[in-house]
Parts: sequence; C-alpha cells; structure tokens
Amino acid sequence: MKPRIAFFDMASCEGCQLAILDCEDVFLHILDLVDIVEFREALSEKAPRFDVAFIEGSINREIDAERLRDIRARCTWLVSLGACACHGNVQARSNALSPAENLQRVYGPEACHVAQTDSQYWPLWAHTRVRAVHEVVKVDYHLRGCPVDRDEFLHLVKRLVAGSLPRFARQPVCVECKHNGNECVFEHGDTCMGQITWGGCDAICINGGYRCDGCRGLLPGVNLDSHRALLRERGLSDTDIDSRYRLFCSADVQPRGTRP
Amino acid sequence: MRGFLTTRATVLDWLHTLDQLGDVFFPQPMGESSFRFDKVRKHSLLAFEDFDATSTEKPFRASTCVQPPGKKLSPNNEQIFHFSKNENGEYQLTPTLDDRQRILAGVRPCDLKAIHLMDRINSDGIPDAHYLSRRQNTTIIAHDCLQPCDQHCFCDATGSLRWREGADIFLTPQPEAKLLIEALTERGEQLLADAGFTPCKNIEGRKTLAEAQRTKPFGRQFNAPLQQVIDTVSNSGESPVWDKHVERCFSCGTCNLVCPTCYCFDVQDDFNVDDPDSGQRTRSWDGCMLEAFAVVAGGHNFRPQLAARQRHRIKRKLAWLPARFGDGSFCVGCGRCGHQCTVDIDIFDIANDLLATAETKP
Ligand code: SF4
Ligand code: SF4
Ligand code: SF4
Ligand code: SF4
Ligand code: SF4
Repeated sequence: MKPRIAFFDMASCEGCQLAILDCEDVFLHILDLVDIVEFREALSEKAPRFDVAFIEGSINREIDAERLRDIRARCTWLVSLGACACHGNVQARSNALSPAENLQRVYGPEACHVAQTDSQYWPLWAHTRVRAVHEVVKVDYHLRGCPVDRDEFLHLVKRLVAGSLPRFARQPVCVECKHNGNECVFEHGDTCMGQITWGGCDAICINGGYRCDGCRGLLPGVNLDSHRALLRERGLSDTDIDSRYRLFCSADVQPRGTRP
Repeated sequence: MRGFLTTRATVLDWLHTLDQLGDVFFPQPMGESSFRFDKVRKHSLLAFEDFDATSTEKPFRASTCVQPPGKKLSPNNEQIFHFSKNENGEYQLTPTLDDRQRILAGVRPCDLKAIHLMDRINSDGIPDAHYLSRRQNTTIIAHDCLQPCDQHCFCDATGSLRWREGADIFLTPQPEAKLLIEALTERGEQLLADAGFTPCKNIEGRKTLAEAQRTKPFGRQFNAPLQQVIDTVSNSGESPVWDKHVERCFSCGTCNLVCPTCYCFDVQDDFNVDDPDSGQRTRSWDGCMLEAFAVVAGGHNFRPQLAARQRHRIKRKLAWLPARFGDGSFCVGCGRCGHQCTVDIDIFDIANDLLATAETKP
C-alpha cells in the first residue's frame, strides 16, 4: 500500500504548502508513490489515519496544541514543514514582549484592555507564547526554510517511501554558497548570517545577489559570539544585530544539543 | 617547443574560436570584486592584465577565482554511476565518465601546481576514473603572474609561482599589450599549429624581460624557508597555536571548499521519482573543517574539537601529503582560504605562528 500523507496548517502563511505544489513537474510522479489524504490547499478530504503528517505553521494557541497532539496520535512520522513549524518564525518575535505589551502594540491601549478582560477575547489573550511544533509533540523530521526547499521535500518523500533514512544538510549555508562559487557578501561590505544558519537551501538568496538572513534557523553549536563580534566590526550596532537575529527568530536562542 | 608573440587581443579572439573543440573556461568578473572561472560564451568579457599592472580595474587586474579552475575536473554533485533494473530484475550499474573535450585557459601558476598535485592524488592507489577521464580530455592554457594577485597570496613562498608542469600552453605577459605564447606539450603544439600567431625568435630574451618585471619579493614570505615550515608543522603536536586560530572560527568549511588541493567528498544515492527502479550515485564536495566530516556510523565523531579539525587541515597541506608524495607543499599559496574566511583565519599566519613557537622552545 502506498504511504498516506497529510498536510495540516497552523499559524502560517501557507506559503510552504504552495512551495510544495510548485513541484508540479514531478507532482504526478509523487502521486504514484504516495496517497495525499489531506491537503487544504489542494483537496477537501479528511482522513482518520496516515503515515506521514506535515505540519505547517507555529503553535500559537492551546487549541492548536490540542489539534497537534491529536494529529501526532494518528500518524507514524511527523514532519515540521517550514520555518514557522521549525522555530516559530516571524510570529515568534512576539515571544520577546509581554503579552500585554504585544496586544497594546497591535490593537492599541483600549482594545488591549478589552482583550485582556473580556472572556470573548480569550483566544487572543491565550496567545501568550508562539511555539515551534517540536515544543509540543515529538517531531521526526524538520524541513526548514521560509519557504521550504522543494528538493528537500522531494528527498524526504522519496526516502520515506524507500524506507531509508533521509539526509539533510548539517552544515552552514556557506557550504552551498561555496559550492556555487559565489562572491561572499562580506567581500562587498554587506553582512550575512550564512555562517551560522542551517544549510540545505542551496544558498538561494546569495545566488540571487542578496545575503542570507537566516530563515532556516540557527545551526546548533555555532560560534554565535564570534558572529556578533564580526557584525560589530562591520559597523552594526547591537540593536541592528538583534533585529537581524530576530528577523526569522532564528538566532535569538542558541538551540541545545548536537546536530541530529 | 615553439613560441609566438602576439597581442593580448589576438589571443582573446583566438580563445573565442576554440569553442569548436569543446567548452572553454576563463576567469570572468563576478560580483563587485571577484572572478568566476566560467564557460566562455559569445559575449563574455575576457581580459588579461597589463604587463606593468597599471590598470587596477576589473577585469584587467589579476585575481584568483573564488573557485579554482581545477574544480572543473571534479565538479560538485557529479554523478559517478547510474543504476537501473534489467529484465531479470537485477540492478545494473553503469559508471558515468565525462570524456568531453575542454580547455581551461588563464590558469595561474598556483592553480597549475594544484592541478598537478590533484593528478598525483587521483592516480594514486585506486585511480579515480572520473577525474582522470576529464583530465585526459583537458587542455590547459596557463598564464604567468608578474604581480601578486592580492594581499593574501604567498605562491612564491610555497614554490608554485614558477610551476609550469601540466600546462599545454604557457602565456607570459609582455610590454605593448603582448603575450609570449609557448607550447609546452605536443597537445599545445597542435593547438597552436594553425593559430597564425607570429613566431617569436627570442623566447629566452622575452622570458628574461618578464622576469625583470616580476615584483620582488613576490607576495608574502614565510619567516623561514619552505622546508623548515614543513618540518615545523610536521613536528607540531599539541600547541596553543591551534586553539588561538579557531577562537573565531565558524566551522563553515569555506577554507576547504575554495582550496585547490582539497578533494574530499561525500556520496549519496538517489532513485528517480519517475522511475523508482533507476537512480544514481553522486558525490559532493566535503571538508574537514565541517563538524559532521569525521562522524562515522553510530554517530562517533573522531574530531569533535574545532582545533583538532584545524590542525588536521593544516597538517594535510603542510606535513602529511608533502611527506607522502614528495612533491613539495600541498598548500600552493593561492591565498584563497585566508582571503575568503570571514574572520581572517589564514594558513599563512598559522604556519608563521608555529615557526615562532618552535623557535622559542628550549
Ligand atoms: S555570502 Fe554568506 S553564506 Fe556565502 S560564504 Fe559569505 S557568509 Fe557564507
Ligand atoms: S540563504 Fe539564508 S535566508 Fe536564504 S533561503 Fe537560505 S537560509 Fe533562508
Ligand atoms: S573559513 Fe574561516 S571560519 Fe570558516 S571554517 Fe575555515 S577557518 Fe573557520
Ligand atoms: S590551504 Fe589555502 S592558500 Fe593553501 S592552497 Fe589551499 S586555499 Fe590556497
Ligand atoms: S597566488 Fe600567485 S600564482 Fe596564484 S594567482 Fe596569485 S600571484 Fe598568481
């Protein structure tokens, strides 16, 4: 029987699901290998059990966490799909502020007061901390990036179908940047997060003439002190540096443990 | 062998005509101040630098390419074999050998020496058929450097600046926007046979002229002769120098991946999504500075310490491979690793620091 795969979205822009639909040249071949049983972007069926669940988006409310636990109980492999699911992404920037300040910033002082006291606004108030998927349930694989890389998605699906272990980059973006023979952006006075960011995207932003802003998240165990010192030397203030590190909420907190 | 003397412009025009024989590669401007060793196309901007280095503008100024020319002989992600199932349901493997003709032009002495060293590496033990197939079908047109290419180069100190072996044709800059063109091999002779260049009567005189123009001392020099550098690095065990030079390191692998004598790779098998019974094995460039490099089955890492990885890299270049092959330094002094490291960690400084600590030892 073909593996049954399902997609679920939490707090996200659904861009990762669109990135996967972008595999259109091979999509029909993928459908020979797997059955897609749930995919809001492309179909309306609902299935009780599946082999692989792809979770897109961060967990912002308790109701989402419950839904996630239910999905975990119904699948064999669970995959975090994209930066929101893997480390919270831009919405996790709100974690750095108190909930009251957050509400005030977004809805103004009046609304903030209502939101905090009126039970009707409970879901808003309950949004106190943006969590990555692995902070709620066990995650088997992470597909990183904002959005995900379609080749990595394809690789994972193929490996799961073949019953072998997928292999993802365990090295910084610089590796692929060098594979592509790019001029390092430090060479022309820009700064980059490539040295401390999970690779696997083929350094697509530098190939395209920009820099790496770290959307794939901070690589565990990297030399963050050295990176900050380098950015300071290149004229960035600590505020600028924090803001760069927080853009995708990727380098804000040093992840624990070693690289899986 | 014969020599010719003609203008740089004539040689560039000639290079453009060589694409009938195969892909021609030449350093071409990229980004704001870099070069890429790229395929020559109809409208590619090609240039040789001046005899007296008066022009500081790219592309008339010499510089190493971000990726060395030799990497064309073992490209990243190259397919090494493909497999499919036959009628009996057995898997069949077919090696992938690239025997297309190609011409690497504008190769600098440092990179020429590096290609020679890679020829040795790839012919040693079990020969690497993939590399050798490309190499045998490659013509090299090298070009002398009369000025150091940048502040990082130390090719003279490593004995690469005057390297000629492996070049089929060698170009030496001359006054009045000219080039001395020498055939160094039979293949080079043939290529030049109907180029129509003016023969040069006084090859030695022309070479002397260029030698007189060469910057002296040329580029950075170690604080001791090369053999002493090699001996010192060979005898350096535990040393605070290793720790000092990794304090700021990101373990990003750039220094490996841009080095013309780094050749480590990682292999990966994959099946085709449109025909799952077929697929291929590919290999991609790897590097010993990367954390996952020395991880073996079961997750054990032989070199979890960054300083140990740095020591490994430096010893490969300046101790172990020189001893194994007797062909001099495996660091050709191109300066790429130091130039491209974002925190300025430089094998040249490490070698000098090791020399300094060795001297102060009782
Ligand atoms: S541009 Fe960024 S990713 Fe590329 S080598 Fe430089 S620091 Fe690394
Ligand atoms: S280069 Fe950096 S910002 Fe761009 S996709 Fe890769 S990880 Fe994300
Ligand atoms: S290029 Fe520099 S930072 Fe990167 S691994 Fe090499 S020494 Fe370390
Ligand atoms: S070790 Fe550095 S300087 Fe030496 S050959 Fe390699 S890249 Fe060039
Ligand atoms: S390192 Fe030396 S040989 Fe190589 S390009 Fe620079 S000057 Fe020329």
